[in-house]
Formats: sequence, structure tokens, C-alpha cells
Amino acid sequence: MSFFNLRGTLKPLTSLKQFAKKPHTIEFPLEVPETSPRYRGLHYNNLDYCIGCGNCSTICQNAAIDMVPVEGIEPKKGDSGLRPRIDNGRCCWCALCVEVCPTGSLSLTKDYIFVSEDPDEFLWTPGVDNPDGINLISFTSSPETSLNEYQRVPMRELDGSERVKSFAEVVLGYNEDEARKEAQRCISCGLCTEACPDHMHIPEYINAIAQGNDEDAIRIIYDNNPLPEMCGKVCTRRCEEVCAIAKRGEPVAIRWLKRYATERAINADMIKEIVNPEILPPNGYKVGIVGAGPSGLTAGYYLALRGFDVTIYEAHDKPGGMTMYGIPKYRLPLESLMKQVDYMKKVGVKFHFNTKVGKDISFEEIYEKFDAVFVGVGFGKPWTLGIEGEDLEGSSQAVYFLERINSGEIINVGYKVVVIGGGNVAIDAARVSRRLGAEVVMLYRRRVEDMPADWEEIEGAEAEGVEIIPQAIPIKIHGENGKVKAVEYLKAEMVPDPKGGRPRPQPIEGSNTIIECSSVFAAIGQQGDYSFIDESKFKDAIKIERGRFIVNEIQQTTLEKVFAGGDAVNRTADAISAIADGYRAVRGIEKFLMGKGK
Amino acid sequence: MEEKKAQILEKLQKVFPEISETKNDFPYNRVDLRIEKNKIPAILFYLKDEMGYKHLVHITCVDWLEEGKFEVIFIVWSPVDKIKVFVKTFLDRNNPVMDNVDMIWRQANTYERELREMFGIQFEGLVAPKEFILEDWDDMPPMRRDFDTEAYARKRFFARPGREDARDVRQTIAERTGEEIPDFAKKYSR
Repeated sequence: MSFFNLRGTLKPLTSLKQFAKKPHTIEFPLEVPETSPRYRGLHYNNLDYCIGCGNCSTICQNAAIDMVPVEGIEPKKGDSGLRPRIDNGRCCWCALCVEVCPTGSLSLTKDYIFVSEDPDEFLWTPGVDNPDGINLISFTSSPETSLNEYQRVPMRELDGSERVKSFAEVVLGYNEDEARKEAQRCISCGLCTEACPDHMHIPEYINAIAQGNDEDAIRIIYDNNPLPEMCGKVCTRRCEEVCAIAKRGEPVAIRWLKRYATERAINADMIKEIVNPEILPPNGYKVGIVGAGPSGLTAGYYLALRGFDVTIYEAHDKPGGMTMYGIPKYRLPLESLMKQVDYMKKVGVKFHFNTKVGKDISFEEIYEKFDAVFVGVGFGKPWTLGIEGEDLEGSSQAVYFLERINSGEIINVGYKVVVIGGGNVAIDAARVSRRLGAEVVMLYRRRVEDMPADWEEIEGAEAEGVEIIPQAIPIKIHGENGKVKAVEYLKAEMVPDPKGGRPRPQPIEGSNTIIECSSVFAAIGQQGDYSFIDESKFKDAIKIERGRFIVNEIQQTTLEKVFAGGDAVNRTADAISAIADGYRAVRGIEKFLMGKGK
Repeated sequence: MEEKKAQILEKLQKVFPEISETKNDFPYNRVDLRIEKNKIPAILFYLKDEMGYKHLVHITCVDWLEEGKFEVIFIVWSPVDKIKVFVKTFLDRNNPVMDNVDMIWRQANTYERELREMFGIQFEGLVAPKEFILEDWDDMPPMRRDFDTEAYARKRFFARPGREDARDVRQTIAERTGEEIPDFAKKYSR
């Protein structure tokens, strides 16, 4: 009978076996379990690292992210000044915004509790509205896990030992596959366009290349740069310095991509066919341009497109100025420059070569003949060293040496060359001398890291066997029978600048060293040669201060008919700034002439 | 394990000469093979009944938009061999139809419902309720790569007031520097 059945009595006692176990119920006091290590909670944005590229806003599949200005963050080069603001009501915490953030500033935190009765409060700016999120960061991206590609497609180059045998172009350029792959790394933020002096439409043409539309890329490039192939090879590429991808990796190879696109058009006819610019009918105004350097050519090209009658006067027999005579042909072959100038001739720019203003034609004549004058004469006159023995045979200025080499002269530099200076001109002279079969030593008064030359150029020179002696100040050039025999220099130590500038070299007494050599090239900078103005009646009307023209924001000098640009105006002294000056002057001249009406 | 993997492929290839492509160089317990779609039920039956691959791990799909194909992948596992076999097949993207396999494994029914809803793949003879997760869905199957999630989100959900001050980064920079982006270039802007 069930009366003797003890099961019902004993059964509850079996629960005693759970006695020592940890209960599954909530503990008291309440213990909040730790979230998992890569938990995706609310956003946090490190405002110091964020550059406002807007990649998070573009990727968001829920359209939850807006880019808005934030108080206290000033826009500057390489920072748009905008920061992401997130509508948490739309966010689904997929964390794509974190995965594509090029700087790694955006991350998700462990914090996932946000309660509010007001729906508008879900709209907030990470980093501004939750500054304490920095301690709770949980989901981050690293260059390895990020969806961005941080490694650049390597550029093929000639080997150092191969290069010194000839003036063949060192950089071989991307092929189509490499260019598409490299172009796809770009996130199209456009921060680079602000750093470019000429504000080229960089994201647009890179996107065109990435989408396989090279002709559109060429059209976009020619919109405000008529010498893109030159820029594609030798530009100082300030754009790549601010590239968003460069924050954690190698910048997008903007220069090589421009080179790739422009090399698709193999001659002037093809450029004209692809660019197919709209040339306005002649408007009756005539513009004279002094100097066929980058600024003069740019001004000439765009003025011609706008219907002006343009004439360029150039002292040399070829156009290009410093880019033709200063840059060695292994960096910028003759044909890539001539191709672009031929194209300019096709759109109606007139050239007068071998015509030096001030000698073959006076500046007054040009001033009277044209409705406006653009002066882009550059810095053609090198500084001299000012030391004993400088006028010996075998000692010259590097600029003149490069000019002679680039005009096709064959120069015997002897067995050993000493180049004095640390800029691009000095490196060019050294690498050219190396190609002429000489041993090369460079003397620079500061350290290697202070050299103003591009690091690629310095590396290239070292690969070709150029010896660089830093902290060396030349004091005398020794001669024998009127020829250079040796250079004597003092070693220098770096002393901090009391004014807070970069450290200055201080010669060490008695550390005299002598290098035997056969040639010496000095490359310590250039200055403008404005004798053609000084000799004319406009000497006082056109103001020149510290070797540069005074211009307003439309490149107009103090004499209203005369505009100026290039090295003779700006302080950055590179080709792209000269092009930017030329382009600005075009708008200035247009405003000046069309504005007053004829 | 390498030996066993090779043996499995060899045996399958003997029975199914239609196997077009195999891959066996994974450092772990996985072999891949590709076969035409009408042989899928046969090879799955054979794997389950003759070779002991009685566990269906997963059925999934890859959208090869550029090639115009869907790739359906069946993953099966044998508790004896401890090896995963990936059986892959291509479907035409414009007409993604293949045989139903839920008579082999009952749980395949759920995976097939999911693929039908997310990729629009039709399994002939599949008996299942019309909807899986999406309710009243009248748009393109959302896991297809040409489905624009952002455009759908903008259409479907209204933007909260207070977001009108959003700025475009490219436009902001262009305005600041005075850059004039030509109209023909704008289609390449972000």
C-alpha cells in the first residue's frame, strides 16, 4: 500500500545534493558580469586622432552617421574639422564604421546601456558627449583587421647598379592591374585636395582610375593642371602627406596614379582627343607671358582656352623652365614634357623661344603690346658659396651644370665630384655626376634628416653609390694650374638654436679635412634675376621684397596690368605651387580684363 | 588525416565522375568539391548513407554578382572520420532553382527557407511557410549583393529631425579651398 511507500517523504531530501553548488539565480549583492572582450556597445571617438574623413558616414548602411562641425575643433590641412554624430536609434552595431576608420579613432565600447524618454537624445556625438568612453573601449580595428588596405602596391624601379649606366628613367610606372589595385585603396575623403597647392580633384580622378575609366581621369586631371605628366613624375606631393590612409599605413600613391593616367595618352593629338576642351571664341584681349616655366605654361593654357590671345616669351630654346633644365632626364624624360607643350600649341598658345626679355625684347615693349602681362621667371640665378677658389676651372654652380647636361652637352667631370648642398638640386647634380662615371661625395652642413631633398631622392642617391657627408662646411677649394684639386671642409656640431628653430651647425675649429676631387658643384639655393624689370621704367612701380614679387590674392603685382607667379612669388618653390599660381592668375587676369569691359 | 581526405575524394570521384573541381590543401579537416546541381541530392544521399556523413552542418550561399552566379554550399560531417566535406554547386543567378534536399535531413528545410528568403533561391518541392524572418517583404531578397541596404534604410525609416546640419566632407573642403569640381567629375565624388 501507498502508506508504506516512503518515496514521497524522502524525495524532497534529494535536493540536498545541490547544497554545495553555485546557484543559478541572481546573486546578492548584485554582480554585473563582464562583457565579452570584443563587445560592440555604444560608440566612442577619439577626437584627437579623428581627421573627419567621413568614411564612417559613407559606409553606414543605416544612414545613421552625419558629419558635423564640433566646437573647439578647427579645420586645418589634413583635418576637415567635422566629426561623426550618430543617431543611435538607427544604429545596428554592425561596427562597419569602426572597421573602415582609417585612423582607428572610432571604436565601440563595453557600455551598452542608454536610457532616455526623449527620442532626440539618442542623437549624440561620440567622444564629445561621452568623454569617459575612452576607459571602456572594447571593439577596435587594427591595420591587420581593418577593411582598408594599408600596404601600397610597390613601384617597380631600376636597380641602383643598373641606373648609373644611363639616363634611362628610374621609375617604371604602374601597369593597369597595379594602378586599379592601388586606386581602390583610396577612400575618397578629399583631405588631400586641401594640401595640394593647386587643389586638384584627386578623389575624382582616382575613382575614375579605380573604375577603369582612364579617359575620364585624364579629363578631370586636365581641368586645373595642364602639366600633369610632369607632376605625375616629379611632384613634391604634399597630398600624400595628409592622406587618411597614411595615418596607419602607406599613403595612396597619388603621384604614381596621376602618372599612370596621363601616360595612357601617348601623344599630343591623343591628349587633345581625350580632353577635348571647350575653347571659347577669341575675346580680343592679348596676354603676354614672360617665362615658359610651369606657372607661365599654366597661365598660357587656361587663358588660351578662355579665348585670350596668348604669347609666351622664353629665353631658352625649349619650354619648361626649371622642369626642363633643372630636373635630370632620368626623372623626367624630354618627351613627357614636350608632349604636353605640343598639346598647348594645339589649343592656340604661341611661343617665342630664344627670346630673353630685357635683352632680345624690352619689358616696356611687352607691357605696351599686351592688355595684361604674366611674369613667371622663377629663380634662375644660383647663390654662390663665397669661398676661396670658387672660380677655378671645374668648379661651377649645380644649376648651370644641370642646364648644360639637359641641353645635351657632354661634360667631363673627372674622377671625383664634390657636391655642396642638401636640396633636390644637389641630389640631382650628384646623381647625374654618378651617371657620368664619377665618384660622388655630397657635403651638407646639417644632418641627413635635415636635408630638404625628398627622402626618395636621398635613398635613390645612396642606392646609386653617392656618399653623403653630413655636418660638413666647405671653407676652401684648392687648385692646381687653375684647376680644382681638392675641397677643404670643417666638421660641424649641431647646437640648439636659442630662438627655437632647427639646430644650427657650428664649425669645430681644427677639424679641417681635405677631399681630393676633380669637380665641385655648389647647390645652396637660387634667387630671382629681375634685371629686366630693374632696367625698365617700372623699377619702382613693381614692388619686390626679399627677392619675391608682392602680389595680392589674384596674383596681381603692385602694377595692375602685371601678374606674377611661380618661384618668384611663392615660398614653397615647387612646380605644383607654380601651377597653382598660374591657375589663380588666369582667374585674376580674366576678372581684371573682362571685369572692366572693353 | 591527409590520407583519409584523399581517399574520400578518390572514392567520391569514382562514383560521381561529374565532380568538376576538388580542393584538398586545407591545413585542417576539410575537403571541397564542386558538382553540377542536379547531382546534389544523389551525392548527399551517398555521403550520408554509404560513407557515414550523417551530420548536416550548414547550408549557405555566396553571391557571385560579377559572374552572374549563386554558389550554394552544403557542409556535412562524419563523426567517425572527423572530416568536413564541402559540397558546392553553381546556380544561374537569373534562374536560381535547385532540388529540395529536406528528405535527407529534416533540418535542411529551415536552411532552405532562409536561402529562399535571403537570396531568392527556389528549392523545388519545398514545403514550408512562405515567410521566414522578414514580414511583408516586397523588395529584392536582401542578402543579394545588388540590394542597396542604405537606400532601403533611407526609404523605409524617416530621418529624425535635428539631423539637417549634416555636412558633406568633400563639399566642405572644396568650399573652403575654393576648388571648383567640374560637373562631369562629380559622379566620381564620394
